[in-house]
Amino acid sequence: MLKKSLVSLGALLMLFPTVAFAEDPSPSQLNMGLDALWVMLAAILVLLMQGGFILLEAGSTRMKNAGHVAGKTIFTVGLASLVYWAVGYGIAFGGDASEALNKFIGIGNFFFSPANGVTDGSLPESVFFVFQLAFAAVSLSIAWGGFAERAKLSSYLIFTLFFVSVIYPVVAHWIWGGGWLAEDGAQDFAGSTVVHLTGAIGALAATILLKPRIGRFNKDGSANEILGHNQVFTALSVLILWVGWFGFNAGSTVAIGDGFFGFVAFNTQLGAAAGAVAALLISWLVNGKADITATLNGALAGLVAITASCAFVDPWAAVVIGLVAGVLVFFSAKFFEKMKIDDPIYALSVHGAAGIWGTLANGLFATEELSAKVGVGQAGLFAGGGWKQLWVQFESVVVAGGFAFVACFVVLWVVKQVIGFRVTEEQEIIGLDLSEHGNYGYPEQLKKAGNTTSV
Amino acid sequence: MHNPIGEKRWLDIACADNLDQLKSAREREQRLLEDELASSPSDEAIVTLNELHDALIARVLMLAENDLARSGLGAPPVPYAYMLYGSGGRFEQTMHSDQDSGLVYADATNEAEEERNRIYFLKLAETAVEHLIAIGYPPCEGNVIASNPAWCMSLTEWAARIASWFAEPSWENVRYLLIAADGRAIWGDASLADRLRSRYFGDLLGHPVIERRMLENTLRHKVLVGVFGQLLTERYGENAGSLDIKYGAYIPMVNAFRLLAMRAGIRETSTLRRIDALREENLLDEEESVEAKEAFSLFLKLRLFTSVAVEDGYLVGTGKLPANKLTKEMIAPLKKALKTGNKIQRKVQKELQYRFGGR
Repeated sequence: MLKKSLVSLGALLMLFPTVAFAEDPSPSQLNMGLDALWVMLAAILVLLMQGGFILLEAGSTRMKNAGHVAGKTIFTVGLASLVYWAVGYGIAFGGDASEALNKFIGIGNFFFSPANGVTDGSLPESVFFVFQLAFAAVSLSIAWGGFAERAKLSSYLIFTLFFVSVIYPVVAHWIWGGGWLAEDGAQDFAGSTVVHLTGAIGALAATILLKPRIGRFNKDGSANEILGHNQVFTALSVLILWVGWFGFNAGSTVAIGDGFFGFVAFNTQLGAAAGAVAALLISWLVNGKADITATLNGALAGLVAITASCAFVDPWAAVVIGLVAGVLVFFSAKFFEKMKIDDPIYALSVHGAAGIWGTLANGLFATEELSAKVGVGQAGLFAGGGWKQLWVQFESVVVAGGFAFVACFVVLWVVKQVIGFRVTEEQEIIGLDLSEHGNYGYPEQLKKAGNTTSV
Repeated sequence: MHNPIGEKRWLDIACADNLDQLKSAREREQRLLEDELASSPSDEAIVTLNELHDALIARVLMLAENDLARSGLGAPPVPYAYMLYGSGGRFEQTMHSDQDSGLVYADATNEAEEERNRIYFLKLAETAVEHLIAIGYPPCEGNVIASNPAWCMSLTEWAARIASWFAEPSWENVRYLLIAADGRAIWGDASLADRLRSRYFGDLLGHPVIERRMLENTLRHKVLVGVFGQLLTERYGENAGSLDIKYGAYIPMVNAFRLLAMRAGIRETSTLRRIDALREENLLDEEESVEAKEAFSLFLKLRLFTSVAVEDGYLVGTGKLPANKLTKEMIAPLKKALKTGNKIQRKVQKELQYRFGGR
């Protein structure tokens, strides 16, 4: 036995001599390798968040739309990848634009073809691309919340083309790609504004143009509750998103050497935890019953809010930011309902309201030390930095949100005029599984019901 | 209860000799009362409304007895009492209350007589229930109704049944005990009902643990006022913005005072009279009893404003006070009353916990 092992080991050494005799890697190679590994792991985690969105959206909607809701996410992630590769990445991070133009838009690296390795010790661009692409796909999936249960499949296709090629990359460029908001020192560590607010604004534009689902509001203005078909899916989705968020936030350090990614992950956990706890308690206090949907939304809102600030604030502030987000998301959902805006997946409240709060929270809680460490902006109001950072944060929310709204609204308005945005009443009633795809996601359950469909 | 003016008012009901007359008399009187209540809802009007129901039900039983006599079954072979449960038993019926009823008859001397009695009284109950349906009283959804053989029995059978409920206090049996606690005779020999009641309270003394089970059975209906003193209204659907007065205000207080009264051996069935009796026994202080009566009277009145729905062809109260009836002037006293209800619910819980040392 021993003899056999030695022989095979010898044979292996002959076949792969480098394993035994290569020179030790240089420290910079090691650093690069570890950083790249971490960012790739983070990219995988963020991509896995799509699994969270599939379950979140499917669980929060009705059975008759489940197959469509789940399956279309896979299609749009695929389409978004191609579009981001061809155009989006270049607009967000391309370096060929003149200095004046670069303030607003990046140019270059279209149909991106990264080097197949690196020699200078910097992060491979291929890894960075995969990571950034995963973010763009998350923002897109957030926008689908406003489309749910009544938009035509073709509108998903067209919106993906415009959102991933221009709308999202422009905002990303302004804040992360060296654009004009970055120059002002806007702090948005992992994308409360860039990813979450932009996506939520897309959802807002869609839900305004689509109008509420059939049966959501009564003639007298009172609301009906359209319950999702599987709360267990929804809860599981929140856990998947929560775990994925470690890639989202802690991965955004894109380096591990100084251990800062651990601190970011630490703050992320506190923010999410505080959001979940605060939302359950506030729903209990206000409605007299502890609401599960509110609790799940609270955890997500805590995560969304801490996304901008996880690298800029002390742990106690992360808890405060999460608590406020949990309460905010509860009242925000009530507010949109009162405004008769149908928000099936609570995208406007979870990603919009909490995204705005998280971005503004930097202007309140960012510390001098951490701002200097990250190298963006300065201390917030409560950390003795005065009003300046709060103003910059406010500006970035208004400008990014305003741009995204106008752009999304125009795209979807044109879709509505030219090919129609919403399925017919009949299609909506029988469900999009059947009308858009020809098969139910839950065939046994729904065929049993025969032709009787519930609204 | 039987004041002379009231009796005069129901003269046409007492003289009605067919169901059509009774039905139109009911509609006419309820319309009059509705006008009266809309302008000035008073405690008297609620008393009058319950007298109206009593008069109608009593007359229906008279007619039912006549029907049976005409069809050859003769007069009631032994004394009996027709019982009302639920809101009827408590003198707390609304314009659209359903039938919760039972029947108890005297024991027979031999088996043949017993069988005859059983057939006669079940037939009587069936006739009465149908007549009552005809004049607009929907049957009880939970089947607590005299035409159900389980609620139409001889005195001995009743006593055995109640004893079996006490012996095995399952959730369902405790529910029956709570229903029986509000029973009163509306027609016939009231002494039968009294004897049943004595058995009930005797059994209660022998099973002190039952009080705790009764509390657990009723706790799920919470007073609909939040931690911040806000009203907990319906959030969705047709009744969005309305307040469930029945289950969120009225029933919790009924449950609380029933329990307090039974512990004290008070045999009244009306909630307001239970409160008075508790005050006399010094189990409530003056302030508590005044507050409680004020709150409960308000709930009784608001219950008359709750919306009505048509179910299976019957008009049924939803027990929900529509948002447009929740006026600004109404909200402050309502909140105060709900807080009182909350306080009483907690008082009952605390007293029972104290007595049994918690779980």
